[in-house]
Amino acid sequence: MKTNKGAKEIFLDAGIYSGEAVKLAAFVFSDKADIRIVPGKNVFKISVRAENAERAAGEFLNEVLNQQCRIDLAKKNSKIAGIIVTKALLSAAGEK
Amino acid sequence: MAQKQAAKNNKSQLLLPQALWQKIGANYLLTNDSGHYAWLKEKDFALVTAGKMAEKDPLFAELAAKGFIRNRLDFNDLAAKWKKKNAYLYYGPGLHILVMTLRCGNKCLYCQSAAAGLGAKHTDMPLAVARKSVDLAFNSPNPGITIEFQGGEPLLNWEVLKNTVLYARKKARIAGKDLKLALVSNFSLMTVEKAEFLLKQEVSICTSLDGPKALHDKNRVSSSGSSYDDTIKWIKFFQARHDKQVPEYRVFKPSALLTVSRYSLSGHKEIIDEYVGMGLEDIFIRPLAPIGYAWRLWDKIGYDAKDFSIFYLKSLDYILKLNQRGVVIREKMASMMLDKIVNFRDPGYLDARCPCGAAIGQLAYNYNGDIYTCDEGRMVGWEGNDLFRIGNVFTDSYKKVMNSATTKVCVVSSNLEAQPVCARCAYKPYCGVCPVYNYETQGSLWGNMPANDRCGLFKGIFKALFMLLKNPEKAAILKKWVAK
Repeated sequence: MKTNKGAKEIFLDAGIYSGEAVKLAAFVFSDKADIRIVPGKNVFKISVRAENAERAAGEFLNEVLNQQCRIDLAKKNSKIAGIIVTKALLSAAGEK
Repeated sequence: MAQKQAAKNNKSQLLLPQALWQKIGANYLLTNDSGHYAWLKEKDFALVTAGKMAEKDPLFAELAAKGFIRNRLDFNDLAAKWKKKNAYLYYGPGLHILVMTLRCGNKCLYCQSAAAGLGAKHTDMPLAVARKSVDLAFNSPNPGITIEFQGGEPLLNWEVLKNTVLYARKKARIAGKDLKLALVSNFSLMTVEKAEFLLKQEVSICTSLDGPKALHDKNRVSSSGSSYDDTIKWIKFFQARHDKQVPEYRVFKPSALLTVSRYSLSGHKEIIDEYVGMGLEDIFIRPLAPIGYAWRLWDKIGYDAKDFSIFYLKSLDYILKLNQRGVVIREKMASMMLDKIVNFRDPGYLDARCPCGAAIGQLAYNYNGDIYTCDEGRMVGWEGNDLFRIGNVFTDSYKKVMNSATTKVCVVSSNLEAQPVCARCAYKPYCGVCPVYNYETQGSLWGNMPANDRCGLFKGIFKALFMLLKNPEKAAILKKWVAK
């Protein structure tokens, strides 16, 4: 990670992290830091600008990991998750 | 070759089916979705996960009966237990919170509902709104409806409250539904006349009691003297009426809610003794939620999960000691978790459901008719963010409210099967996440569990409860709390 006047640069391996996970994490962080994402060849170059850029960048990385795990889990568990959600919503709406 | 294949099949038959585990100390806690659990020593855990546990092993039968051996699954029994524990998935919202007014004479340090001053009469719920709210509540397919009157201080809007009680009773008779009515009040405006009406209408009474006088009055600042004095006077009144009973109607035992502020953390014994002294048999030791107004004051009154966990565990230990001496006092959070662990039963704890109770388990009706997913969602709305508003009683039907995008996203985001960490957590069968908490503290409905204080807190409580259940004497006390 490179520091540059209140900003932190992070490079994420695009083979591990999807663009969706990076963008979702950036959205979650939209009120905490300025996030700039530059997609490169097999890499995302990300600039995190915040009052405490070091800390914000670390937390942002945690959030990217969280989002990626969620996306991966959704692929694996989508069937059971879908059944539970559908049952809960239909019952609440009074549908059988 | 054929022999080898048979051996392989046999081994896979003995493997664990879908199961969750957590290493605690030297042992493993094993759980499954039906709610069964088992403690295993490290060597037994290795045998079970490798599919090498011998059928003659004394543990084998226990694990087979609990659904931990793949070729011995009793699907009917496991499914019945799962359904019982998740019965709420079949009914829709049962709890309907009516915010009768935002006005309140008290200025509590942490007031999550950010009460308005006594002059703010425009925040009183008009009768038309109250009736429309009751109408909408009765559209829920749930055969049991609970209407909870809240505020502010709901007694400030007494005539509307009284009229709504009668209206709801009439609706229940026509609809053939089981109706429970509840009032949450600080008692500052309670009178004998009001109390008699509430008792006759079988309205259960709940108040707030934060501990001894000095602590209670420090947390719950009253403009007209001591809020503690009002609270105690009326707890005693309703206790006496409960003990007396009458043939005409049921008198419920009054209950109290404890809110733990930073000032409470050093006084667990005094707080619990106060409850015992008042004859209260349940104490709900719940953390202050950093939601709405309380979030803004967090630096002054808040604490981290670690501090609360220490307070909670000390309290639980003290409560168990009192039980050992024959004192009747239960901790409510533990009771609700235990009901799931021990009885495979849904205790109605909306905050620890999967998906959470937002909208599909409860609805909060604001004084102006706006409908929120829950009371916490309403508090966020009061702070200026209406993300959790899902309709209005005058413009939206029950079905529209249930089909709103916010309802759906709260259900989807609080489904533990789709939550990283939760999906593999040993406590998943008994736990639940709160999208409002996640949103307020971590910026998204999904949250991020490894850094989530609520998750850390729940894990600490579950760990403590499972450890206590290993101790036969303490397990007997805990099981008694949920034996009904």
